[in-house]
Amino acid sequence: MSKFIYLTATPEALIASMLPPVDFGEYLSTGTKKRNKGQAIFFEVDLRQIEKLIDMDSLNQRCVPKPDGSPKNSVYLSVYKVLEMIPLSALKSLYITTDNGFTLELKRTPYDLSKENKSKLYLFQELCPVSPMVASELAPSAFLKRLTDGSTPIVLPKLFFVELNLGDLATNPLKGSVDYLPFANVAHLRDCLEALKGAYEKHMKTVQRVFSGSLLYRTIGSGFYIGSRDDIIFYPYPSLTELEDINYEFFRSI
Amino acid sequence: MVSLPGATPFEVIAIWSVLVIAFFGLAYAMFLRRQVMACDKGTEKMQEVWDGIRIGANAYLKRQLKTIIPLIFIFTIILFLSVYVVPPTEESKLRFAGYSDESLKLVIGFGRAVAFIMGSLFSLMVGQFGMRMAVQANVRVASASRRSFGEALKLAYRAGTVTGMLTDGLGLLGGTIIFIIFGVASPDTLLGFGFGGTLLALFMRVGGGIYTKAADVGADLVGKVEAGLPEDDERNAAVIADLVGDNVGDCAGMAADIFESYEVTIVSTLILGVVLFTQTHQLSWIIFPLLVRGIGVLSSIIGTYLVKGQKEAKDNNALKAINKGFYSSAAISITAFGILAYFYLGEWRSFLSVVVGILLAIVLDEITKHFTDGNYRPVKDIAKNSKTGAATLLLKGMSYGFEVAVWQTLVIAITIFASIMIYNGQPIVYVLYGVAMTGIGMLTLTGNNVAMDAFGPIADNANGIGELSHLDKDARKIMDSLDATGNTTKAITKGVAIGSAVIAAVALFGSFITDVSKVQIQMGFEKSAQLIETGIRISVPMVFIGLLIGGTIPWLFSSLTINAVTRAAAEIVEEVRRQFRIPGVIERTVKPDYQKAVDICTVSAQRELVPLALIAVLSPLLIGSLLGVEALGGFLAGVILSGQLLAVFMAGAGGAWDNAKKTIEDGLYGGKGSEAHHAAVVGDTVGDPLKDTAGPALNPMIKVINLVSLLAAPVIIAYQKPGQSSVGMLITGAICLVIIIGSITFSKRGGFKKVPFEM
Repeated sequence: MSKFIYLTATPEALIASMLPPVDFGEYLSTGTKKRNKGQAIFFEVDLRQIEKLIDMDSLNQRCVPKPDGSPKNSVYLSVYKVLEMIPLSALKSLYITTDNGFTLELKRTPYDLSKENKSKLYLFQELCPVSPMVASELAPSAFLKRLTDGSTPIVLPKLFFVELNLGDLATNPLKGSVDYLPFANVAHLRDCLEALKGAYEKHMKTVQRVFSGSLLYRTIGSGFYIGSRDDIIFYPYPSLTELEDINYEFFRSI
Repeated sequence: MVSLPGATPFEVIAIWSVLVIAFFGLAYAMFLRRQVMACDKGTEKMQEVWDGIRIGANAYLKRQLKTIIPLIFIFTIILFLSVYVVPPTEESKLRFAGYSDESLKLVIGFGRAVAFIMGSLFSLMVGQFGMRMAVQANVRVASASRRSFGEALKLAYRAGTVTGMLTDGLGLLGGTIIFIIFGVASPDTLLGFGFGGTLLALFMRVGGGIYTKAADVGADLVGKVEAGLPEDDERNAAVIADLVGDNVGDCAGMAADIFESYEVTIVSTLILGVVLFTQTHQLSWIIFPLLVRGIGVLSSIIGTYLVKGQKEAKDNNALKAINKGFYSSAAISITAFGILAYFYLGEWRSFLSVVVGILLAIVLDEITKHFTDGNYRPVKDIAKNSKTGAATLLLKGMSYGFEVAVWQTLVIAITIFASIMIYNGQPIVYVLYGVAMTGIGMLTLTGNNVAMDAFGPIADNANGIGELSHLDKDARKIMDSLDATGNTTKAITKGVAIGSAVIAAVALFGSFITDVSKVQIQMGFEKSAQLIETGIRISVPMVFIGLLIGGTIPWLFSSLTINAVTRAAAEIVEEVRRQFRIPGVIERTVKPDYQKAVDICTVSAQRELVPLALIAVLSPLLIGSLLGVEALGGFLAGVILSGQLLAVFMAGAGGAWDNAKKTIEDGLYGGKGSEAHHAAVVGDTVGDPLKDTAGPALNPMIKVINLVSLLAAPVIIAYQKPGQSSVGMLITGAICLVIIIGSITFSKRGGFKKVPFEM
């Protein structure tokens, strides 16, 4: 049986498994006994690129089939500063799983900076290593750079985040329609967005300090981003119409 | 023809033609059935899933028969003997002139008993055959969806039309046969026919409603909410019960419900038509409604056959195809009614009443759509309130539920006013006949309506089979599209069912007044004491008490049915949890015991039938025997008003909460998993037993009470003269009271055993 290495983002951990990505996603989100449920977001990691970073002997000893011959579900390899440790080049596809176990694969794509819209406001849900929800006037690449380049007192070694749809609020924070937005406290969101347009220069504003643990997949905007400084990897998220064709089960369960 | 003195040759041909049309409708149903049965049942896996549904459905139907047949037997005897308590009417003596009193009693008693059996069996057949057809069709629709959208749509709709044409054909057949045999004496036996159909519809509605929602709520609470399983997951032990429940509630229950409205409107129209015939000696009062029904059957056949889909599923094209069939039938009907009125009646009043009925169906449909469809403001408003939690969502839904009840009741009031205007200056019996004709008009397109309704569970089950047998994406998309259309058509027919139930009840109420007066005349009551002269005076304290008690009955009924659903759903929850703990069930290595959940739902549903039926049957006897016949009239008015308001409220609020949830699931406010969605799920769960159990059960309940009152009124008049108390009546009242209290206790506890309260 093959071994797979996964980097889970919520919470951050490096896990070895004998399950292929789709089965691993189902296992993570629903367990083996269906006594729990919850979303999972994880990357598949290229093992060859991290062999020198992990204890391969331990991995080979622990990640073996169970006595009944069934594949080993999970072997935790590391749970702290994992994202920081893994090189970006080792990251393969990103997988996101619904809380009832349907998994969608998102492929990494070179990021085209020329397509960024710099005249609208953004809402980012940071996922790893920290997880606030932040409103920003910066486009994804600038947002990533600002938080990872050391130009401000708050610095992250790498950042994994997702852009969320703001609808009309992206261009009209005070009066834009909020019909398709899921946020309970919209007045607060409007205030945060409006603050970005204030007289003094403010590039980002925290909307929510801690991630609720559940990402509403219908509200994802352009997609997921991971990187550091100018090094950015993009995982585009399909439109709902495309999603219906790509992965019908996933589409139906979100 | 002996039973139709004075009939013109055209009228004789017409009445026989109606009979032929009834058989033609049934033959069309058989033709469609053969078409459906000739289609393939798909893969082995699909048939394995389907087999579970089929076995569950059969178990339910078998057990239902076991519960119902003894009751049919008991009521048949009671109806046969009833003729010995109250003598046959003058019309019966006229029809069977030359018969001795004893022979006449025997003929009428026998006729009434046979009519009751016929009504019961027809209702049972519509429900049972319709449900079996739906079960046979669902796997075939799932299989057809692998090929094309058009084929799947046509198949699902034609399978639904089998039930629709059974409803049409049997409803028309029963009334026509009775009329051909009994002629002017038919009111004496038609009541038995109506009562049989209504009582069975009550059983099917109550049983179906409890079954479907116990399974649905139970399966969702554990499967989706607790364990995070998707809809229709094979590891959920209640998944088959849930699929069976869709057939039991939306197919068998609804078909029997509409059948009895169809039946009861023709019964009340013929009763009133006979009264007018005796006054005017024109048979057209009786022949015209039968011809209208016949034309309705023919136009339904044409309209339903026109429903065909394109190869690909596109937005709403299933609904467009179904609507095309519906409006074609409506256009054909109205044109034919106009021609018939012009050449046969030579006047337009009856025609106008029928057209008002068709318009009423359309207006009620639009009101229902406005308040329960996701494209209109009320549902959007309710969904918006989900952002502030379940409490505000529930309050908003209740607010709109109350409002829809107001508008629908006002429309019905306007309809009755239209009858007053159409028969302006004529005695009250003409107005009541006009109302009854409105009911006839409203149910003209019963074949289409029932087809649309039965289409819902067929598409829903096909989708479930597709999910459980892991059909490919393209087939699933087709079934999703059909399922969504089925949800809309079910909601539309629910509105028609409630509206027609009220119109039928008002028509029966009219028959009550004329029938009571006839008996009073027969018994020599002074004119000033006859009900048709006095009216029902709510200023009389006894009548007002009757009105108040009548108003409480729908609430009592709803309380007991919702209680039964809650109790049964809790049992299902425990059972599914238990099965999840069995090693291998979650891992998919061990198949859950689906039959256990099916059994729980079946037993729970049947347990409630007898006590609830007893409450419906005995409460008018209690009021009539203790408070008198006028108070019984007040009681009926209370039941109709309160029942109508409550039924529409429950259907409206429940439907709106359901669609608010669907709107959110389509992406509003974050879609599935959002806080808004959690609130909407609460609303939908609360609304489910309201719109699918308690609300629909009120339709047949109102009519059972009306028909029992009609049957019992002569006895009450005979044995309880104004100003005198009768010991017999007091004893009857006391017995009814004891049985009703016993039934309530039984229903609340789920048995006579006292259950200790546990925290």
